[in-house]
Amino acid sequence: MTSHKTLKSWTMINSRLPLTSVVLAALVAGCASSGVRNPSGVPVTEMRADERGFVAGTGIESQDIVRVTDKMAREILSIPQIANAQGTPRIVLDPIKNDTRFPINKDIFLTRIRAQLNSKAQGKVLFLARDRMGTLEREQQLKRSGQVTSSSDPNVVEFRGADFFLTGTLQGLPTRTGAGISDYVLYTFQLIDARTSDIIWEGFDEIKKQGLEDAAYR
Amino acid sequence: MLAGCATVDRKPAVPLTGDIMIDGPNAIENGPERDRVLWQYRTAAAAMRRGEFELAKRYLDDALLTLGGIYGPNESARKARSLFRPESTKTFVGEPYERAMAYFYRGILYWMDGEPDNARACFRSALFEDAGTEEERYAADYALFEYLEGLTSVKLGEDGSDAFERAVKASRLSQLPPYDPKANVLFLIEFGIGPTKYATGQYGEQLRFRENPSAPRTAAVTVGDQKLTAGACDDLYFQATTRGGRVMDHVLGNKAVFKSTTSTLGDVGIISGAVLAGHRGRNSAADEVGVGLLAAGLISKLFSSATTPAADTRTWDNLPRYLTFAFLSLPPGEHAVTVEFMDAGGRLIPSLTKNITVNVPVGRDKIVFVSDRSTTPQTL
Repeated sequence: MTSHKTLKSWTMINSRLPLTSVVLAALVAGCASSGVRNPSGVPVTEMRADERGFVAGTGIESQDIVRVTDKMAREILSIPQIANAQGTPRIVLDPIKNDTRFPINKDIFLTRIRAQLNSKAQGKVLFLARDRMGTLEREQQLKRSGQVTSSSDPNVVEFRGADFFLTGTLQGLPTRTGAGISDYVLYTFQLIDARTSDIIWEGFDEIKKQGLEDAAYR
Repeated sequence: MLAGCATVDRKPAVPLTGDIMIDGPNAIENGPERDRVLWQYRTAAAAMRRGEFELAKRYLDDALLTLGGIYGPNESARKARSLFRPESTKTFVGEPYERAMAYFYRGILYWMDGEPDNARACFRSALFEDAGTEEERYAADYALFEYLEGLTSVKLGEDGSDAFERAVKASRLSQLPPYDPKANVLFLIEFGIGPTKYATGQYGEQLRFRENPSAPRTAAVTVGDQKLTAGACDDLYFQATTRGGRVMDHVLGNKAVFKSTTSTLGDVGIISGAVLAGHRGRNSAADEVGVGLLAAGLISKLFSSATTPAADTRTWDNLPRYLTFAFLSLPPGEHAVTVEFMDAGGRLIPSLTKNITVNVPVGRDKIVFVSDRSTTPQTL
């Protein structure tokens, strides 16, 4: 009887074990998964500017800037007015217009196109440093007043005029629905003839990004 | 073990002094990471009212980076959805009206710096934060943000008529004046006390917004013999309460059901188990079933007590209730400006009057931010 009862008791206990085990496993698993991810942080990772990093949104990011400006620089070099120009065309940058929903440092686009062309075009185009005119004029005044030396006649105006203006516009179309958000950005750049106001070249690129935030933020 | 599960953020909350310009930077630097954006919002708003615009810019830029990067998998958000963590586990970015205000403030700062296109981008993002409501008529319905989007376009030499039409359509509180391209001084004015959040429901799983009494209802700007009165364009309490339910409300509702069900099952198990275990003599089958039920009931109760359906009631608590604007044409130079606030009966509230010296630049618009909580006097 005793052994039978013991066996029965064990059977009863055993039948309770799965439930208890499941409960304990669930609790333990719950705790294990609650650990902080990357508790020690993530070491600084050097990435290429044209790579999409693990920190990303739907806005304008470095990989977009690299892609768009690379494309524009290539196209500018291939247009006949630049490729077959008799002299060296002089270009002035005119700030681009940001017509998107993303506040950005918009100068970065033209700066990169200028740097690309200056480093790779081997003198096919030259950019005029209009953003440094204040400094240049002060230097010219110093030369004219004889306070500093001059290698040429300081009274002769040698600041160049522009042959072309390089400018552009960023335009956006955002959409938000229950399925997430979508941001389309159209990047257009123009090279404008300073004498005739003709747009001698226009290039564009377009990027669309979509995302959905965690339900905790919806 | 359960207590261990409940611990999420290792950094404790910082002790508060009551001075936002001490508490804010301290909490941002040393407080829990999940509250960082909340304190950045609060400190930025306080800094704007003191005329410390560079500080406000720094905090808002960082906060907006977090806000712009919440798409895709997010560990803290995942935890906030789990049964055993409260919603406040997630990194705070605020409800849509709070996010919209962060963009609005940043837009003002861009415009102050002579970047109307980036200001316009911020006003658009502010509107975008309010898009996707349950009821379409309440989506992106901030009259002021639409109006400013159009005004910045006009200032950029573009057509702002579409935005103006949308602003007029969204305007519920006041009649909007047509754009005056010659007006070179824009006052962006806020007053009243913004909504605060509280939780209701059996387990605090339902997020609600409290309307706080706000004495000022209109503002008046006086410069020399020019006086402009501005009624509210937008009401943040209205904005907070007209978005409809959140997806997270369903998650919290499910958590509450789970908590309630496991609690009831626990009660049933414990009572039945106790009755069975105590009814017969020792070592009977009923006794053992009773013990089993008791154990299952206790475990179920443990689950129930560990379940946390509480809604996140962290609030950007120094937001205003009302937003408005006034614009003037003033010659370049220094101008003494008085901004007064009136109650619902049109009576002046003298304690809120602000005296501001405004320096109008040559060839550029002057943007002046004024709050009923601004320090006075100020030179801007």
